[in-house]
Amino acid sequence: MIEVAHLTKAYGQFYAVNDVSFSVARGEVVGFLGPNGAGKSTTLKILAGFLGMTSGQVTVGGHDVVEARDAARLQLGYMPEATPLYVEMRVREYLAYRAELKRVPARERRAKVAQAMEEARVSDVAELLIGKLSKGYRQRVGLADALVARPPILILDEPTAGLDPNQIREVRDLVRALGERHTILLSTHILSEVEATCRRAIVISKGRLVAEGPLDELRKRRRSTRARVVARGTEEAARRALEGLDAQERLTVEVSGAELTLSLRWKKTEEDTARALEEAVARLVGAGLGVREATPEKATLDEVFAALTEDAREPEGDAA
Amino acid sequence: MRGFFPVWKRELFSLFVTPLAWVVIVSFLVLQGLHFGFILLSHFANQGDMSSDQGPVQAFFGQTVFLYFPLVVFCPALTMRAFSEERQRGTIEALLTAPVSTAAVVVAKWAAAMVAYAAMWAPTLLYMVVIRKTGAIDWQVVGTGYLGIALVGASWLAIGTLASAMTQSVLLALVLGAGVTLSLFMIGVGEMILPEGALRDVCGYVSVWTQMDEMSRGIVDSRRVLFDLSLTALPLFVTTRVVDSWRWG
Repeated sequence: MIEVAHLTKAYGQFYAVNDVSFSVARGEVVGFLGPNGAGKSTTLKILAGFLGMTSGQVTVGGHDVVEARDAARLQLGYMPEATPLYVEMRVREYLAYRAELKRVPARERRAKVAQAMEEARVSDVAELLIGKLSKGYRQRVGLADALVARPPILILDEPTAGLDPNQIREVRDLVRALGERHTILLSTHILSEVEATCRRAIVISKGRLVAEGPLDELRKRRRSTRARVVARGTEEAARRALEGLDAQERLTVEVSGAELTLSLRWKKTEEDTARALEEAVARLVGAGLGVREATPEKATLDEVFAALTEDAREPEGDAA
Repeated sequence: MRGFFPVWKRELFSLFVTPLAWVVIVSFLVLQGLHFGFILLSHFANQGDMSSDQGPVQAFFGQTVFLYFPLVVFCPALTMRAFSEERQRGTIEALLTAPVSTAAVVVAKWAAAMVAYAAMWAPTLLYMVVIRKTGAIDWQVVGTGYLGIALVGASWLAIGTLASAMTQSVLLALVLGAGVTLSLFMIGVGEMILPEGALRDVCGYVSVWTQMDEMSRGIVDSRRVLFDLSLTALPLFVTTRVVDSWRWG
C-alpha cells in the first residue's frame, strides 16, 4: 500500500532523509521508529504530500504522491505531529468540515462523522469547542479526522506524544483496533510503543534506514545488558560466588549496612542474559547469601539505536 | 478549484465566530457614521453653492481620506489571519494534506474576506436612504460608487492575503498589508504634488483617490477597472506560488 523508493530530502547540505526505501503491505501495522530528529516526521510529511522530496519516489495505494497528488491523498488519513486543530470550532463541526474537504458526499457525511467519533471515542465531546479539550481528547479528535473519510491507509505521526499513561493506553488500544481494518504506519520514538501496537518496525536514524524487520529482531537487541542484585551477606562471599560466571563482564559491589548492591554487566556477546541472571542468583543463594531483589536492566533506547546504527552496514534479515 | 466551498465556509465561520470581524465592522461603521454626519452637516450648511456633482454621495465615496485610511487598516485586518495563523498553529498541514488545490484554498480565503468586507459596507446603504429622504438621488451613481468600493476592496484584500502568506506572525501580516496599501495610496497622492510629466501621469493611473472621485460621479473608466482586477489577480496568483513553495521549505 505504501512504497517508498530511494527517498531523499535535503536542505542544502543537510540531509533530513537520505536514500530511504521501505514498503508497507495491505493490512500491516508498522512502527516507524527513530530518535528525535531522525527524519521520521519529514518522511511522513512527504508521504502525506505536505513536503516535497529532493529525489526518490513515493506511491500510496498505487498512486504517486507527486504525479497523482489528489488520488494519493484520498487513499490516506494523516494525523500530523501534535495534532493541530482549529480551536474555535466544535468537534462535530470540525469533523464535518474535514469530511467535506475529503470529498465525503453530503448525504453520508453525518453518518461518517458519527462513526469516526464513535471509533475515536470522542462522541461525548461532540458539541464542545476544541479549544476546551484536554490533550488526550484533541489527539483523538485528530484520529477521528484521519478516519472520517474511511481511507484504507492511516499515517499517524507520534499519536501518543504528550499523553499521560492512561491516555497512552487508550490510544494504543484504539490503534490496535483500527489495525484490523486499516493499513497503519505510525511513528514514535518510544520502543515499547511499537512493541504494544505493531508487528513490524522500520528504524531510521540521522535520516538513514538502519533496520527493518519483524519485532523479534528488535526485541533481541533489547535484551538486558546489566542486572542489579540486592543481597544480604558479605562482599567477599558474593565476589567468590560469582567468580568464573561466563556471561559476566564486570561486577561492582556497593555495601550499605548488611545489604549489598551488586551491579553486573553482561558480555556483549551474551545472547541469553535472562539465563545468566538466573545462574547468578542461583550461585548467590547456593553460597548462602539472601537474595532480596534481582532486576535485569534493559538496554535504553539510545543503546538499541546505537547498536542498530553500528550494525547498519550488515545485511538485514528480510521482513517476512 | 476542488475544496473551495468548504474552505470558504470555514473561513467565514472563523471570521464571524471570533470577535475579529465584529470589531472591524463596528469600528468601521462608527468611523463612517461620523464621516457621514460631517458630510451632511457641511452639505446642508452650504446647500446653496453646491453644484450637482458635489452632493453628499460624491463626498462620501470620492473626496475624503476618511474612506482610504480606515480601509488601509481594516482590509489587511480581515485577511491578516488567513495564512499566518494557520502556519503558526500548524493547522496548515492538515489543510494542505487534504485533497484540495492550492488555488482553491487561496481564493476561498480571499473570498471569505470579501464577504466580510461586503458585510462591513452593507449598512452604509442606509446612508443613501437617508439622503433619499432629503431629495433626489441618482442610484446609478450610487452603484458606480459601490463598484469602486468593491474593486478597491478586492485588490487590497488580495494584497492582504499575500501579506498573510509572507509571515507567520499575524501582527506582521497586518503591518505588511497596511504598509503596501498605504504605499499604493501615497503613490496616487503624487498626482497632486508632482509637476506635470510622465511621473505624474503614472501616479494618476495608480491613484485610488482619483479613481474613487471619478466613480463617485458616475464615471467608470475601463482602465481603472482593469487595473484593479489585475491588482486582485496578481497578488492572489503570487500567494498560490508562495503556498506551493512551502512544500520545499
